[in-house]
Amino acid sequence: MLTSPTSPPPKYQTSSPRPHNPLSIRLYKVLAANLDDDTTKEALHTLADLYAPSLLNDTKVKPQDRELKGDRERLNDIDDEDDDTKEDANTKLPAQSPALAETVPGEIAARARRNLKKDVESKLAESSRRFLTAFAEVDKQLDTLQEYIGAMRLRCDDAQSQLGETNEACKALLDRAGSLREQRQEISTRQSMVMVFLSRFTLTPEDVEAITSREVPVGKRFFNAMNKAERIRNDCRVLMAGEEGPTKAGLDIMSTTSGYLEEAYEKIFRWCSFAFREMGRDAQIDVSPAMREAVRRLRQRPELLTEALGTLSQTRQATLLNNFTTALTRGGPGGLPRPIELHAHDPLRYVGDMLAWVHQAIAAEREFLEGLFGARAEEGGRMVGAVRAYGGTEEEDWMSELMDTAVGGLCTPLMIRVQQTIRSQESSITAYKIANLLQFYMLTMQRTLGEEAALSKRLREMTDYAYKAFSDAVEAQGRSILGIHLDLDDLTLTPPFAILDHTQILREILTVYESSLGDESSLRGKSAKDVNEAAAQGCRAILDQMVDPAVEMCVLASEEKHRLRPSWDREIFIINVLTYLQSVLEPYSFTAEKRDVIQDLVAGRVVQLIEDHFTGLLVDTGLGEMVDAGKARQGDEPLSHLPAASSSRLQAALHKFSVWLTSNTVDYPPRLGQLSVQSLASRVHRAALARLVRTYKWLCEEVRNPENKYEAAATVLGSERPFGQVHLLWQIFGIDEEETGDDIVTDKTT
Amino acid sequence: MANDYDIDATELLETYDFLMKYIIIGEAGTGKSCLLHQFTHNSFKEHSQHTIGVEFSSRTVKLGEKRIKLQLWDTAGQERFRSVTRSYYRGAAGAILVYDITSRASFLNLSRWLADARALGSPHLVTVLVGNKSDREEDREVEWAEASRWAAENDVHFLEASSLSGENVEAPFLLCARSILLAIESGALDPEKAGSGVSYGDRALRRVHSSSRLSFGSLSGGRRKGTVKLRLPLAGKTRCC
Ligand SMILES: Nc1nc2c(ncn2[C@@H]2O[C@H](COP(=O)(O)OP(=O)(O)OP(=O)(O)O)[C@@H](O)[C@H]2O)c(=O)[nH]1
Ligand SMILES: [Mg+2]
Repeated sequence: MLTSPTSPPPKYQTSSPRPHNPLSIRLYKVLAANLDDDTTKEALHTLADLYAPSLLNDTKVKPQDRELKGDRERLNDIDDEDDDTKEDANTKLPAQSPALAETVPGEIAARARRNLKKDVESKLAESSRRFLTAFAEVDKQLDTLQEYIGAMRLRCDDAQSQLGETNEACKALLDRAGSLREQRQEISTRQSMVMVFLSRFTLTPEDVEAITSREVPVGKRFFNAMNKAERIRNDCRVLMAGEEGPTKAGLDIMSTTSGYLEEAYEKIFRWCSFAFREMGRDAQIDVSPAMREAVRRLRQRPELLTEALGTLSQTRQATLLNNFTTALTRGGPGGLPRPIELHAHDPLRYVGDMLAWVHQAIAAEREFLEGLFGARAEEGGRMVGAVRAYGGTEEEDWMSELMDTAVGGLCTPLMIRVQQTIRSQESSITAYKIANLLQFYMLTMQRTLGEEAALSKRLREMTDYAYKAFSDAVEAQGRSILGIHLDLDDLTLTPPFAILDHTQILREILTVYESSLGDESSLRGKSAKDVNEAAAQGCRAILDQMVDPAVEMCVLASEEKHRLRPSWDREIFIINVLTYLQSVLEPYSFTAEKRDVIQDLVAGRVVQLIEDHFTGLLVDTGLGEMVDAGKARQGDEPLSHLPAASSSRLQAALHKFSVWLTSNTVDYPPRLGQLSVQSLASRVHRAALARLVRTYKWLCEEVRNPENKYEAAATVLGSERPFGQVHLLWQIFGIDEEETGDDIVTDKTT
Repeated sequence: MANDYDIDATELLETYDFLMKYIIIGEAGTGKSCLLHQFTHNSFKEHSQHTIGVEFSSRTVKLGEKRIKLQLWDTAGQERFRSVTRSYYRGAAGAILVYDITSRASFLNLSRWLADARALGSPHLVTVLVGNKSDREEDREVEWAEASRWAAENDVHFLEASSLSGENVEAPFLLCARSILLAIESGALDPEKAGSGVSYGDRALRRVHSSSRLSFGSLSGGRRKGTVKLRLPLAGKTRCC
């Protein structure tokens, strides 16, 4: 502080004349001391106070200072007692702050200088006295305090010992608390395990309600509860399969859940049975997913399922039957579409409509069942006509059975009506068409329902019945044609009315057969030959029943007529009828076999006819006599010697032949003109002519033969056409010599 | 293990609001079976042979909010099956009348087919004329305009399609269903009655039971959507003709 640059000691040094005197050094030091610091100031003030008030009041202390400073100034006095220099400073101070009460300047300072020590000591003594009194009081208080503390100590010791005891006692308690805590921890772990276990192995009240309550419908919630019960049982089974074997809890769980499950199945069963009973009114039924799921689950309880489905099949059967009857008799609402029976007069439409109705009902039923069993794998994929594998899955079995029963109910009303319709048919054609239609549906149903289904079987019966009716009708038709007698007064040689009638029926049958709806799909992919063979096979019986009696009748009845009307040309008639029959069969490729048979018959008749015709020609031409003579000749007797072949007879015969050659019967033999088939007539005629040429040739050779002793043979032959020239005759007839008579006749017979 | 059971998922697949009976008719070889196959299988039926009698298939379609199950009866076009197939017209709600745009002969007989269908089908029979084989433009024998005129005169819907390419194959079926739904909505047709060729499915029935009257509000909403969907191919056809 002294060397601080802010203080200016050098000023004092320069003003001091004796710097080496210790006193002066001290003085300097004092003077040099900075009196401006607070401590010094305060000391000086105290000093000042000590003296100032006495001037004013009684002795030394200024009144204002005494008021202001109390004990503090005394303390300051003590502090400053040995410091002389303070006096100087003290003297200075009043000068700085003008001592107003000082009567004589410096008086106070002088007095102070004299009495300072004594003043201070007395003051000190007084202070000490005051201290003593004060401390005596304190001492007394402290003694009391001491007592208190002693008492307190006792108490504390007491408490301490009690505390120790208590501590000792608590320790056991704490130990127990600790172990209890541990136990509690353990138990809560176990509890949570038990909770987990319970939630895994018991049904919640909601689950139980879902299963047992009538209020909760068979639906998602119900099925979920069932699922849970099932899962519990599975888990439980797994647990019990462990080493410990079945536990009581396990057995309890199994028995409880099994109880609930049984209730669940019962509930499904009741619900299904109810729904199934309700499921009747509509022809088309949509299956709800809950229903499908219910059925799926009920498969676990086959006896319940069987019973429920039994109800269903009864309902469906009754419903289908009811709907069928409505469609038959009442039609749609307001009569549209019209009742099927309205068209009962049109047997084909009637039967067709009924069968189509049944077919459509089957399709709808099938869809329903597929929906019910969740088997509709490929919607729209399968066609009803498509072949299906049967008896594959359990569902398929169920569906087949249900379908069979439901549709089976339609069999009887259908059958009654179909048979009635068939019976009332007079026309074999209609019967045939119905039979065809029935067969078509029989095949369709066999593919759709299986061959063993009731409807398939009944349709087979109906088809057989219809075919039998048809066959009976055909047979009757055949019998009736056999019983026909030919009109004796009808001398025409064309097929009689009865035959025309008969063949008209045949023709219609064949037309129907040709376009028959039969089992075409089974022929798909087969060769044309197989297809033809199948077609021929199918109508063989019909042809036998229709054609054979016609042929027989024509032969027998014509024989009878011929007996009574010998002039009536039976041969031509028969050939005409046969060829007519052929022409009827001609358009149908599958009749080839029968046509061949008739062709054989015709060929035989034609051979005969050629023979007849040739014989006639021999007579007409006069050559017959010569031929007869030639046949009658014995040994090598000359021909001319026979009376029948004499020169004159020969001449006459040649003449007759010549005349015949110019007549138009050469080109148009009247008899053959009655053959319906012109080509056949000309064939017969040419065959006969060829033989005639050969006969003429033979005659010429015989005449020219010297052994027969005809005179002027060449002249005789040359006198009449064709002048003994055989080749000329070939030319006249327009026949190639190479042709042989037999070849002309027989296209197919040989 | 049984958690995979989900009613909602299966419900979408199986149930329907309406069930409608359709017949597919027209001359043999016009591609009826192919059209149907394309509709139900989304593929062309190779080596299709003449249908014998009738064949059944079904498909569920969605129209607006409604799910409609179609029972489809594919009939044989050959004359000799006519007596059989006609029996299936009974009470049909819709008829898809098919001709072959490359065969004039298949077009000329349409009136007879239509008359038969109208005589025997449901009184409200909706018919859609389909000119099939539109992929064979080069062999076309029946102009679009001519068929369209015929359709208008006979009050049937019309469009051309190809069972081969699949173009426009769904449209006739949806168009038909839409017309039928509108008839139901307008009250002209009542599915509750048998013989209308339409009946309610489980879905609609459940709704009927829950609310006293069946509301078609949603149908009207969905109609516009359906119309747009159906018109698009038609518009496309018009443009290219
Ligand atoms: N190019 C072409 N060919 C088609 C189309 N649709 C069908 N065909 C062909 O037409 C022929 C007849 O088709 P189908 O579907 O069997 O005819 P359909 O009308 O069912 O005949 P029926 O059953 O006898 O009445 C087949 O050879 C098909 O390949 C088509 O859209 N385009
Ligand atoms: Mg077809």
